[in-house]
Amino acid sequence: MAESTPEPPAPPQRAHRLLPQRLETDPESVERDLLKLVLTIIELIRQLMEAQALRRVDEGDLTDEQVDALGLGLARLEEAMGDLKTRYGLTTADLDIDLGPLGTLLSDRFSGPD
Amino acid sequence: MVEAGSGRYLFAVTRGLGDTDLAGVTGMRGAALALVRHRDLEAVVCDVDLAEFGEAALARNLEDLAWLEEVARAHNDVVFAAASRGTVAPMRLVTIYADDDSVRTRIEELHDRLTEALDRVEGRREWSVKVFTTASGPARADEDAPAAVGSGPGSGAAYLRRKREQATRRQAAREQSIELAGKVHDELAARAVATRQLAPQDPRLTGHTETMLLNGAYLVPIDEGEQFRATVDRLGTLHPELTLEVEGPWPPYSFATLD
Amino acid sequence: MTELTSTTRTTAELPGSPQISLVDLLDRLLGTGVVLAGDVLISLAGVDLVQVRLHALITTVRSDLARPEQRGG
Repeated sequence: MAESTPEPPAPPQRAHRLLPQRLETDPESVERDLLKLVLTIIELIRQLMEAQALRRVDEGDLTDEQVDALGLGLARLEEAMGDLKTRYGLTTADLDIDLGPLGTLLSDRFSGPD
Repeated sequence: MVEAGSGRYLFAVTRGLGDTDLAGVTGMRGAALALVRHRDLEAVVCDVDLAEFGEAALARNLEDLAWLEEVARAHNDVVFAAASRGTVAPMRLVTIYADDDSVRTRIEELHDRLTEALDRVEGRREWSVKVFTTASGPARADEDAPAAVGSGPGSGAAYLRRKREQATRRQAAREQSIELAGKVHDELAARAVATRQLAPQDPRLTGHTETMLLNGAYLVPIDEGEQFRATVDRLGTLHPELTLEVEGPWPPYSFATLD
Repeated sequence: MTELTSTTRTTAELPGSPQISLVDLLDRLLGTGVVLAGDVLISLAGVDLVQVRLHALITTVRSDLARPEQRGG
């Protein structure tokens, strides 16, 4: 006969934080390393914008024109992102710099719908 | 400011440990272990240098993953050895007292809670079961195929609709996995005396790429351990869309550690 | 389901402890688990130069904050 002692998962912001992740660059690779960092941040922002756009559309306070413009803008952003990755020979998996809880918040692994 | 002198590092409070039970086991940084007895309980302690374990030094050291690993493993070695010989209520990492009298005072204050914890875990072991999804298909927003966009009015809205469909599919798949993991948990809970669900672990810390759906701790009588492991294996075979990882037997960290 | 037998053990040898992963250990020994900090430290030629505090850099905007002109008054 089991008694459950359920405990809600500890909220991430109270958890023990380790030192900042270090992005080691050297003069030969610094340009490429910074590029990967920038593209990763752009990709994170793109995903965040996409999720937020869908939420705003759900809230129903946008006009049809705004929704259409929003969608077109995001589509162009996704396309541009693809072009950049192609140009620099990067796949999504390459943009794998640890960005801490932000990476967690944006990936679908832990967060449910808001 | 560097603190001087030494403190007493408390690994665990035990019941039923004999004076020679921890022979051959060393404490932190090779220091000798000692048992501080108080009423029916024993505190497993060793000396530590406050230049390394004092408040100021800890603030720095606790953020150093290499330091954390050394100390956590040394702490764990002692708790494991103690749990092989008696009933154990482990302490959190770096629980430090000024001296043995302070340790005894604290045990006196906590005696009822410690007794309750020790009673709960006596004759039992902790087993860890982690459930991962093996489901293929887009699980992340950046792994979805880009939704093509046409031109002309309404194409932006259509793009957003497709994005929403992708998000909904991902969500439905995730909910299905979570429900299944819940069923697995219920089956395991039925075979445990107590359970605790820990937070899912960051994939970058574990090295797993699949999503962790469940991080469960189960308190199981010593003699039922292998049966519990067999149950996990059976559930894993039954649900090929899940990967189950079982580890144990461990000391009852999730069931007897007092804050 | 299972009955307690009269030979229920109260203790038994535990196999070697190195088997526990560091993440599992820290989750249990630290009480609140571990997260990687939301920052990136950029260094060049071994010298730490710039710290990017991403958590502060990126936040989402709540819809009620997005339309200040619609607040009363």
